[in-house]
Amino acid sequence: MKPFPKLRPTAWDALVVLCVAALAVGLAVFQWRGGQSQALTAVVSVDGAEVDRFSPEDLLEHPRTYTGNGYTLTVVFGIDYEGPARNAMPPSGESGLRAAASDCPTQDCVHTGIIARSGQSIVCLPARIIIRLEGGRAEDGGVDAVLG
Amino acid sequence: MKLTTKQLTLCALLTATALALSYLENLFPLSLAIPIPGVKLGLANIVTVFALYAMGPGQALLILLARCFLGALFAGNMNALVFSLLGALSAMGAMVLLSRLRGLSIYGVSAGGAAAHNCGQIAAAMLTLGSSAPLYYLPVLLAVSLFTGGLTGLASACLFQGLRSTNLMKG
Repeated sequence: MKPFPKLRPTAWDALVVLCVAALAVGLAVFQWRGGQSQALTAVVSVDGAEVDRFSPEDLLEHPRTYTGNGYTLTVVFGIDYEGPARNAMPPSGESGLRAAASDCPTQDCVHTGIIARSGQSIVCLPARIIIRLEGGRAEDGGVDAVLG
Repeated sequence: MKLTTKQLTLCALLTATALALSYLENLFPLSLAIPIPGVKLGLANIVTVFALYAMGPGQALLILLARCFLGALFAGNMNALVFSLLGALSAMGAMVLLSRLRGLSIYGVSAGGAAAHNCGQIAAAMLTLGSSAPLYYLPVLLAVSLFTGGLTGLASACLFQGLRSTNLMKG
């Protein structure tokens, strides 16, 4: 008879959980660290090749549509009111973007919601489209804009 | 690998069960609560965990491969095969290694397998998309894998508990 596995959690299981949690936290710190002091830019890639680069505010003029692998994805401007700026007075949010519509079967890209911080991305696997935010807002007290 | 009729029948039954569980979990779309690609309960992993302990790594691998190929075929989406295969093989490799550690229970093995499954799927997404962008989702997927791995571990433990008094584990 094959030996039965241990059916009650052990202290060694906690070690596995700790290792996975540590990996998750380490990756999160590495991936989700703050943006650099430059304008937030959305970079769009289709099938691994960069096809567009724009500021989220550009979407205020008109949405943008991308096609990949036979599917179409429409991106619009959005404001993230859940971000760190939610406590600001008057109430404000971070400018970002979201996938408003897609004809892909999974709809994960649409369900992702608004992305507004550097490093965040919207991935549409069926369409092989990635929209990734790069750069970021200036640190508090930093330069808001450079004119001239 | 030479299989007896009983082993072959059990492999076929478990493959069918895994496919049914994969279909069943579509009725509970975890991605609605956590909207990132690749999030799912991984109920078919219960079959893999069971097969690994009850039948050994060789037969567990056969069931896993059959489930991945048939699942992609039935879904009519062969593009998903690379995701399914890389995820499942990563989980299998991790669980085979972890199951050899005597101190670990079925919960630790299952959680480790779930985490490895997500790592494999992210690797597949990075290969397919030619970008490191999917890595952004890995921290959340790893955190979710502790929950889903614990859940499949609990289901597997209940299964083995129920089979204690049967002769299915013999031979």
